[in-house]
Amino acid sequence: MQFFRPSSLREALEIRAAHPEAVPIAGGTDLMVEVNFGRRRPEAFLDISRLPELREIRREGPNVRLGSGVPYARVIRELPDQVALAQASRTVGSPQIRTRGTVGGNLGTGSPAGDALPVLAAYDARVVLRSSTATRTLAWRDFLVGPKRTALAPDELIVATEWERAVGPGSFSKVGTRNAMVIAIAGLCLQLDEAARGVRVALGSVGPTILRAPEAETFAAGILDEVGAWSDRGARVPEEAIARFGELVSAAARPIDDVRGTGAYRRHACAVLATRALTWALDDRRAAAMEAAS
Amino acid sequence: MTLTLTINGTSRTITCEPHESLRTVLRRAGCYSVRYGSDTGETGAAAVLVDGRLVSADVMLAVQAEGHRIETIEGLSVPGTLHPIQQAFIDTGAIQSGYSTPAMVLAAKALLDRNPNPTEAEVRDALSGVLDRETGYLRPVHAVLRAAAILRGEEPASVDVVHLDRLEGSGTAHHDRDGLAPLAPRVVPNSDVPATRVVGHAETKTDAVKLAKGNPAFTDDRDLSGTLIAKVLHSPHAHARIVSIDDSAARALPGVHAVIHHGNVPRVRYASGGQSYPNPLPHDQVSFDDKVRFVGDRVAAVAADTEETAQAALDLIRVTYEPLPAVFDENEAIRDGAPVIHDEPDMEGAHDAAHNIVHHIEARTADVERGFAIADRVIERTYRVHQVQQTPLEPHIAIARWDSDERLEITSSTQVPFHVRRMLAPLLGLPVKRIRIIKPRIGGGFGAKQEMLIEDIVGHLTMATGRPVRLELTREEEFVSSRSRHPQTVTFKTGVDANGKLTAQEMRVVANTGAYGTHGLTVQMVTGMRGLSSYNCPAKHFECDVAYTNIPVPGAFRGYGAPQALFVLEAHMDDVAAEIGMDPIEFRRLNWTGVGDPLDIAPQLGEGDPEAGGMPIIASSGLEEAVLQGERSIRWDRRADPGWRQPANRPHIRRGLGFAMAMHGTAIPGLDMGGASLKINDDGSFNLLVGATDLGTGSDTVLAQIAAEVVGVGVHDILVYSSDTDLTPFDTGAYASSTTYISGTAVKRAAEQVRAQIVDRAALLLGVPAESIDLHDRAAWGPDGRCVTLAEIALSTLHRQDQHQIMGTASHVSPESPPPYGAQFAEVEVDVETGQVTVTRLVMAVDCGVPINPVTASGQVEGGMTQALGYAHCEEMVYDETGRMVNPAFGPYKIYRADEMPELEAILVQTMEDSGPFGAKAIAEIPMDGVAPAVRNAIADATGVRINRIPLTPERVWRALQVP
Repeated sequence: MQFFRPSSLREALEIRAAHPEAVPIAGGTDLMVEVNFGRRRPEAFLDISRLPELREIRREGPNVRLGSGVPYARVIRELPDQVALAQASRTVGSPQIRTRGTVGGNLGTGSPAGDALPVLAAYDARVVLRSSTATRTLAWRDFLVGPKRTALAPDELIVATEWERAVGPGSFSKVGTRNAMVIAIAGLCLQLDEAARGVRVALGSVGPTILRAPEAETFAAGILDEVGAWSDRGARVPEEAIARFGELVSAAARPIDDVRGTGAYRRHACAVLATRALTWALDDRRAAAMEAAS
Repeated sequence: MTLTLTINGTSRTITCEPHESLRTVLRRAGCYSVRYGSDTGETGAAAVLVDGRLVSADVMLAVQAEGHRIETIEGLSVPGTLHPIQQAFIDTGAIQSGYSTPAMVLAAKALLDRNPNPTEAEVRDALSGVLDRETGYLRPVHAVLRAAAILRGEEPASVDVVHLDRLEGSGTAHHDRDGLAPLAPRVVPNSDVPATRVVGHAETKTDAVKLAKGNPAFTDDRDLSGTLIAKVLHSPHAHARIVSIDDSAARALPGVHAVIHHGNVPRVRYASGGQSYPNPLPHDQVSFDDKVRFVGDRVAAVAADTEETAQAALDLIRVTYEPLPAVFDENEAIRDGAPVIHDEPDMEGAHDAAHNIVHHIEARTADVERGFAIADRVIERTYRVHQVQQTPLEPHIAIARWDSDERLEITSSTQVPFHVRRMLAPLLGLPVKRIRIIKPRIGGGFGAKQEMLIEDIVGHLTMATGRPVRLELTREEEFVSSRSRHPQTVTFKTGVDANGKLTAQEMRVVANTGAYGTHGLTVQMVTGMRGLSSYNCPAKHFECDVAYTNIPVPGAFRGYGAPQALFVLEAHMDDVAAEIGMDPIEFRRLNWTGVGDPLDIAPQLGEGDPEAGGMPIIASSGLEEAVLQGERSIRWDRRADPGWRQPANRPHIRRGLGFAMAMHGTAIPGLDMGGASLKINDDGSFNLLVGATDLGTGSDTVLAQIAAEVVGVGVHDILVYSSDTDLTPFDTGAYASSTTYISGTAVKRAAEQVRAQIVDRAALLLGVPAESIDLHDRAAWGPDGRCVTLAEIALSTLHRQDQHQIMGTASHVSPESPPPYGAQFAEVEVDVETGQVTVTRLVMAVDCGVPINPVTASGQVEGGMTQALGYAHCEEMVYDETGRMVNPAFGPYKIYRADEMPELEAILVQTMEDSGPFGAKAIAEIPMDGVAPAVRNAIADATGVRINRIPLTPERVWRALQVP
């Protein structure tokens, strides 16, 4: 077995091109489970934990670029204004997993239960891939092509994910048997985009991959428009409309029955999470409006 | 490949394989504090610091640690010293088995190095990645807060007992309890209890220092050169015959030293439950059979040079199976036409093997039909309790070797070393005298290790190879191939008269003992005993069928049939109270047993012999006081406060309070036996040798306190050694809440012999009559105030005059099993939209007689309530349709973490139990009994929904709420 330990991204990509069998490893918190169980015994490892290019967080104006090797612990400390992402990061594993585990790893594994992924979906994030010869930037949905399947080519590495910061309230929430460590029964990220007058909502753990709920999004944006809430943050949205939003989100879910819950319950949970997330977001806006007025 | 790692400031050159984890490499480098808990990083037992930050060494590649600064607890303090965090863990009683203590200490250090003044929530977050099955996290959290204070230069008060005012008869049920230190053990004193110097005090544990420092103390913490690694091939089928096994390819693999299976291991019948001689029937197991009965059953085992080779060898064993129909549900298994699980002609002792009924148990005190006929109301409900696993953080592990006398020495993490020795002998074809079992420290057991589970495998393999052989179960194997709690379907029927007095109780149980009988009989007898002992009732009937099925095998699990019985009983009593419109506590109070009442079902279930005048009578009960204390602590009156029950600002939340009473046993009367031996050393210290097996409960400390009290020394003057079948007296082992009561009395008697010898010599040296001498403060005191120290007495008797070894040996068995009582209260919030239940507070007031050590006793209650909360709320072994467990890992099998815990409070209500040492009764198991029904009843209080199945998962609660 070989172990490659490049010290720069360029070197790493050259090794990647020459040794596509080498499995990239950053924090190792997912991969090592597979290795310990003997389910995977790679012919070679490519250690990407020491590449400074992957450990950067860059912000230019509204644009955020999160290096794929940034561990969750740093996301929580350094991106507190990305509220939903920080919330999702806090629910990942345990402190020692957050020290090592990365958003890039979450993307690489591509599990629909990965907590960061619904947030990236609601952020309309793009995934930046590089090979020794080219750079590709894919929309999240073009990257996450199926359950635990991604569009990563054998000679590529995930180098970053980037998004344009939406101005507006956002949240990540989930229902589980208990709170954090368990893989969620259902996870939901809601993000309002005041500038575009849009509502975005993404679901985890309730389908083969991460899902958006476009009908619900359109409906919610329309209702906010109807009641004048886009211009007047203090305007009230009728309870029935919020409930309808929950139903539409629920309808977008494609859950199955499994050990954590039946499909019917998970669908119901999506509706509850959605109505609460929208209620919190509207409450936040109203509170901000009142503060601005006083 | 070769690595250079900086471990605790020292640069080390280490050879490793590229895929090896940092945990594997650190252990090989002698850092035994970095422990195995799982392969997934989820237990945190393998936590280390890398560049000052906590990581899980089991999911970090060793190679990736090169160039980083690695710290383990071995680097925290040198011999003879303690880091303030370690000292705080000792002082607060935060250590039980100590298996995960190094990880917790490092988690604390990582936090305190960055944040010298953390909040409790920050501490809970910092500890949240280290799973603990023992303490309930209360003491570890406060250990960290205390360490923080000490490191800031503050001097926090010592942890000492707080005496609460007795409420019974005082008429003041509600007064202010604020200002109690969270860690102080709360004791309600009893004037019948005589004053003592060591017993009853908050002594630190005798084994705390080695555990706080992560010193090598557990089975796996030594380097035995030439040890082979064993691995077991498990059945992929729930039920199948083994048509053939071809092991030739496995044997041919270089590095493989033995492959054993039914074709080459003698077929000797046994029952694996660790119980007294003769082991209860059925004897339905053999080391390796030609049939498999659950997914995870044994097929073969190999011993090889490395784990990788052993695993590769397993993959090369060609097994041809003939799959058979399987059955998993206990009710289906006993129907006509169900697949017959034990059809082998040589199986012994099943009631009706053709119907998978391994036992049929009946017990009755009088005619219940008459009792139902005279009842004003008859209420009948059916309940289901599920299967959960003990999950000790240290899995089963055993290492066998031939010693220099060619005797087989097995070091094993077992609760029953003496039973293992006796049960192993016929399986291996060795006389008992050629087997030695050594029990080092145990990283938790909870009954899973009251079993001869893997010792025969390492024994067979060492005999086959002549080499030392080590077998450690993986976490997945611990779930599937170890033991668990019996599921049951229980129908409970109660007759009650117009005044609320019980007229008849009937309990009909179908229990699921999985593929093998092991503890199937005795666990279910305890179910009957506990289900029908709490309340006085003129007619009681217990009927139970114990079914074989094709699920992994239930066995002994803390509580041993009682948690099942008490979930059903206390849910049912709550339901009956609601149906007849009585207050749930008043209804119980009208019926519960107390001093002078007979345990009338006991003789029917093998405890006490009424023909010989042996009807057990309750001699002590603190239940009334416990209920009053619990009501005050939980603020029971809030049940009547609508504003509290339905908080205005959280419309989807309903709050409620629930109660359950608990009653348990203390040891198995007439059966459990413990021996102890005590001898003096030159300096007036003593060696205490006991067969009792401290599995983290603190029993070594409790036994040392008993000895110290009698001979007038401090607890740390008693050096406890437990246990080793060559060196210590016999003990049945750590189960049935017996150690303090049975082994403790043996220690007390041995110490009284020693005391008499000390007093004789002191009388001689002081020239005063022996009767006038008192022992305390490490000296013998005459009536005139002169004294001679125990060191002087030791030197005199060992070296100078009429030399002899001052020593005593004694044993004890009790004809009685005095019941401890408990009052369990739970406070919950139910999210009625999602069904998610948050348990916000658990209070248990327990009458355990006189708590010998209030800190360890409180720790038992706190940790027991936490384990019981998992049973109530979120733990469940789940299977697919083929009988394969789908959640054999922490995460999908959910146990509580430090940051998810409710508030906990333990209150110890003293009673003087004259049959116990210094008045003690049991404490270890009763905290498992009341939480599930109390939480269930609290949900009913909050929402009106009465749920008859556990665990109370969000979906189950939500579905119950949908029923109009």
